[in-house]
Amino acid sequence: MKPFEYLEPATIAEATQLLSSHGEKARILAGGIDLLPRMRAGLIDGDYLISIRRIPNLDYLECDGFNGLAFGAMTKLRSLETSEALRSNYRSLYDAIHQITSIQVKCTGTAVGNLCVATPASDVATVLYSLGARVEITGIDGDRSEPIETFYVDAHRTCLGQGEMVTRVLVPSPAPGTQTVFLNLVKTHADVAKVSVAVAVTVEDGSCRDAKIAIGSVAPTVIRAYKAEAKLKGEELTPQLIQAAAITASGETRPISDVRSTAGYRKNMASVLVRRALEKALRRASDGSTKEENR
Amino acid sequence: MKPEIVSLKVNGQVHQVIVTPNMTLSEVLRGPLDLTGTKQGCGVGQCGSCTVLVDGTPTLSCSTLAIAVRDSEILTIEGLSTGDRVHPVQQAFIDLGAIQCGYCTPGMILMAVALVDENPNPTREDVKEWLGGNLCRCTGYVKIVDAVMAAAQTLREGDCR
Amino acid sequence: MSERLSIIGKSMSRWQAHEKATGAARYGADVKLPGMLVGKILFSPHAHARIVNVDTSKAEQLAGVEAVITWKDIPPEVYNPNKMNLMLRHPEGEIKDTQVLTDKARYVGDRIAAVAAIDTATAEKALELVDVTYEVLPAVFDPVEAMKPGAPKVHDFADNNVPMHFDFPFGWGNVDEGCGESDAVVEETFRSASNHICQMEPCAVVADFSVEGKLTIWSPTQHPFLVRRKIADLFGIAEGSINWITPHVGGAFGKYSGFCVEPVCVALAQKARRPVKIELTREEDLLSTERRQKYITTARMGVRKDGSIVALSENLIVDGGAYYTQNGTTTNVNIGSFLGVYRHPNVAASATMVYTNVPPTGGVRGYGNHEATAAREQLLDVAAAEIGMDPLEMRLRNVKHAGDPSSTGIPMETCPFEEIIKLGAERIGWKEKKARPKGTGSKRYGVGMAIAMDVSGAQPFALQQSNAFLKFNEDGSVTLFMNAPDLGQNVTGTMAQIAAESLGLEYDDVHVVKGETDSALFDSGIHASRGTYQFGNAVIAAAEDAKKQLLERAAKTLGVPLDDLEIKAGRIRTKSLPRKWVSVKDVVRGAIYNFEGEHLQIVGKGSYSPAENPPPIHAVFTEVEVDCETGVTTILRILYVADSGTIINPLAAEGQVEGAIQQSVGYVLTEDYVIDAKTGALESSNLNTYKCPGTLDMPDIEVVFYEDAPVPSGPFGAKGLAQGAICGVTPSIANAIYDAVGIAITDMPATPERILEALGRASVTAARN
Repeated sequence: MKPFEYLEPATIAEATQLLSSHGEKARILAGGIDLLPRMRAGLIDGDYLISIRRIPNLDYLECDGFNGLAFGAMTKLRSLETSEALRSNYRSLYDAIHQITSIQVKCTGTAVGNLCVATPASDVATVLYSLGARVEITGIDGDRSEPIETFYVDAHRTCLGQGEMVTRVLVPSPAPGTQTVFLNLVKTHADVAKVSVAVAVTVEDGSCRDAKIAIGSVAPTVIRAYKAEAKLKGEELTPQLIQAAAITASGETRPISDVRSTAGYRKNMASVLVRRALEKALRRASDGSTKEENR
Repeated sequence: MKPEIVSLKVNGQVHQVIVTPNMTLSEVLRGPLDLTGTKQGCGVGQCGSCTVLVDGTPTLSCSTLAIAVRDSEILTIEGLSTGDRVHPVQQAFIDLGAIQCGYCTPGMILMAVALVDENPNPTREDVKEWLGGNLCRCTGYVKIVDAVMAAAQTLREGDCR
Repeated sequence: MSERLSIIGKSMSRWQAHEKATGAARYGADVKLPGMLVGKILFSPHAHARIVNVDTSKAEQLAGVEAVITWKDIPPEVYNPNKMNLMLRHPEGEIKDTQVLTDKARYVGDRIAAVAAIDTATAEKALELVDVTYEVLPAVFDPVEAMKPGAPKVHDFADNNVPMHFDFPFGWGNVDEGCGESDAVVEETFRSASNHICQMEPCAVVADFSVEGKLTIWSPTQHPFLVRRKIADLFGIAEGSINWITPHVGGAFGKYSGFCVEPVCVALAQKARRPVKIELTREEDLLSTERRQKYITTARMGVRKDGSIVALSENLIVDGGAYYTQNGTTTNVNIGSFLGVYRHPNVAASATMVYTNVPPTGGVRGYGNHEATAAREQLLDVAAAEIGMDPLEMRLRNVKHAGDPSSTGIPMETCPFEEIIKLGAERIGWKEKKARPKGTGSKRYGVGMAIAMDVSGAQPFALQQSNAFLKFNEDGSVTLFMNAPDLGQNVTGTMAQIAAESLGLEYDDVHVVKGETDSALFDSGIHASRGTYQFGNAVIAAAEDAKKQLLERAAKTLGVPLDDLEIKAGRIRTKSLPRKWVSVKDVVRGAIYNFEGEHLQIVGKGSYSPAENPPPIHAVFTEVEVDCETGVTTILRILYVADSGTIINPLAAEGQVEGAIQQSVGYVLTEDYVIDAKTGALESSNLNTYKCPGTLDMPDIEVVFYEDAPVPSGPFGAKGLAQGAICGVTPSIANAIYDAVGIAITDMPATPERILEALGRASVTAARN
């Protein structure tokens, strides 16, 4: 790895101060699971690594059905995965994290770190799009809060300005009657997804009160399939409507071909996964249960 | 970037090592500490052969800065056995054909040790999930899972150290 | 086997498993020598470029750099890295086209220069300072394009990028006529996957000239004596002054049949006059070490209504990459294997080797047999479907039996194909499962099978020689000296079992010294599953030699006839009763500490060159579920039934097969060596993009060994097992997919994208029952 200065601020204020003074040459180091391999491969430069490991109170997790979910900048993916409250309230988020295969990655890697890589292939980000998450940011000029949809600007680019860092993520409590489903397609279990879909569907008396459909790996950022959502809202969720919404959702994608898959396959699969996710949500809603299902 | 002297506690022993911030934990273990049991299979955290336990937590040493773990207890494969006595997980690997070329073995064994600490009664599925981030090219994983299951049973029955 | 065996057939502990479990085992990258330097190679960023100039001056001036080399610093010999060629009586087919460091880059990853420095950071910095002026040339990445007139020429001497074309001279009959007589003729073109074996340990080599007049090399090569000769020839060093050490090897699977980076390492060590270690990163290993050839196989089969095969042929286009390496030998094995399993009166084959500007290929598990078996077994299923016959029945109809020639042409002592096919069929419930409805939803069930035949060595085509010697130690134990490298396949432990059983000792009484050419006798190396069969027989010969000396002494001591003696569990005892006995230890000690003028250090030496080539055979049965909406194949179960004669160590044997199955699952479903079609750069450059199966990607596996046909010529009835163990697995998976969706997936890997595309082309949505 190229040489760098290693800094360990004791507070968030110190960290943002360092970020601000070193500008583009500075990077936050949390778990390092993504950052360090990239630096070793020469894909990223960082003259200053600002470790936030020793700043207290950044690795918390609060979750209940009323106040929603909140987790900090150092909260490990494994902590999220092993939270019973998270699993029962945010099934899709649990499933997305659980299928990240490497235990080592989950024990060391942070959810916020995962989000800050800003890849549209992040399963965690995809789910958070469907849950209406907000990203809390602290900078030298103060705090702000961004909905996750505007946190991302482009592939590998967030809205963070100089001197800003993410301190926590807030996820509102799902409305009563909401089913959350996550599905993806991968080459091997331990691979990054070819395409991921996360839906949050609120069903009341067989009709859809609200629907959020998020799709990952089909555009420079995760996308919400707004047109497909609009098709569903207020309507009875028939198989035909679900299929139509799935096709509409696919139409909202603009995937590329890369080493993992082809644009055509991703576009096609977006439709299949959206349909399957909606069907699954509907089945769970009519079951009225949260029993284990095969993916 | 200046080298500095850092205290690293590895396998119960404190070492004063000269490191630069850009040295990974695996480089320091395999280099100045001459603990070459920890392997370097890919350098990008994908194969698991660099796995060590940091404060009991499975950690990819190729993706960890040595300087960042200076206050932690690090366990490498060398620290698992004492003299002639090996850990039941190691014994099970030896007895049940779970070792062929042996390159993935240290990482697999340490992962298994962490697993049985957290879950003393794993199912085969639990074991497979737990080892999902560790690659092997020789065994097809079958006997590795057999060995972890056997070791877990041995430990439950108390026939150990 | 009339005698009861006490060690053969038992899962004795593996050689040095303890060292591996405790981290004490040293692999190439773990070797540390005083004054050792780090060697790094400069790889070409261009797929095709003339090197106009290399300016190494800045690199040489960097503090901490001890040597910088280019092709100018190395003897100018152009060679072929394939060691197998040294074992051919007539190596005219060998094409020499490789330099240690090249003066023309022929693939992204070609080796341009190298440095040796005090640490990695300095070496990397030095590489950046090596100033190379390239004249970038147009490149060609596809073999069919490469053969067209006007295509960029990879090597000056190869017109149309074809260094070699041959028509198989040992065919028989007339394939066209045979097809004319057939009731059905099927033809398919199969494109094998360009696949890297991705062994867990990235290649590492150390070269050391520290000792005056001696070169010591640590390397994972499978053929220490042969590569030693190549290095001796290349550098003008006497063979006897080179000691080749094999450290622990983290997986080889054939890819170390030739050189990896030894010549560069030796050149650096020679110039620097200090030991040098080259440790490739995973990216460098994936990029510039040998992997599978890509075969485009056009295969044709003519069959009669009764299922008998009348004609079989294959025409190969071999995309072997930028250098010839092992393309000749693997292709020969491919053809022999393709035509060697069934009885058919008309066969033919041809092969066209093609140069392309992609990384070179070599010998990887299966060594050509894998791709040949895949093509043939898939084609057979297509033919069976054409005539409406159960593909299992069709195999039984045509398969060879004992006495028929194997794929090597040597008559087989045993060949229980029928038995293992039937055993597997019953175990998996073939008839019932084949008749099972495929499903009407989006998921389709399929069951498939395939058979394969491999070898117990490269005879009769190549020199195959094993030499073993062992000595008795004063405590009655034995030390066995062997050179056949242990790559994790436990050949060392197996030999200890054979030695112990032969000598009547306990397993723990056999110590093995392995790995150095200085302290072992010539051996042809590890390839073609020859270790157990050939080296095992050499060990038995050495044991018999030593045993004779031991028993002669004991006969004198006990005052009994020689033929009344046997050795059991470390005691030499009479067969007749009442038993007289003396311990091996006492006899040996008495021979060494001998004050009667009859001192003797008992040493046994044995050599073996095979006359037979008993083929290991296997039959594989696979069940899959294919999701026709996503193209995703889930393998439900794999049943592997093998005949390898006597199984010397069951756990070890099973383990090898289970590993082969993992490699096949990856080959068929997930491993894709992707080269950028515009630049020739490797896109699947590390393990985040080259995906090998992990625990969760593996199906349930069952391995069954059929041991009712011990091989008379084999050590305790054993023959080869593991080199070709992958061969039948790949087509069994492909045939299961074929059964599920009714389309033969002929391009590997059978990714979901490919399956979906094939389904779309065929417009199949209904189940094929």
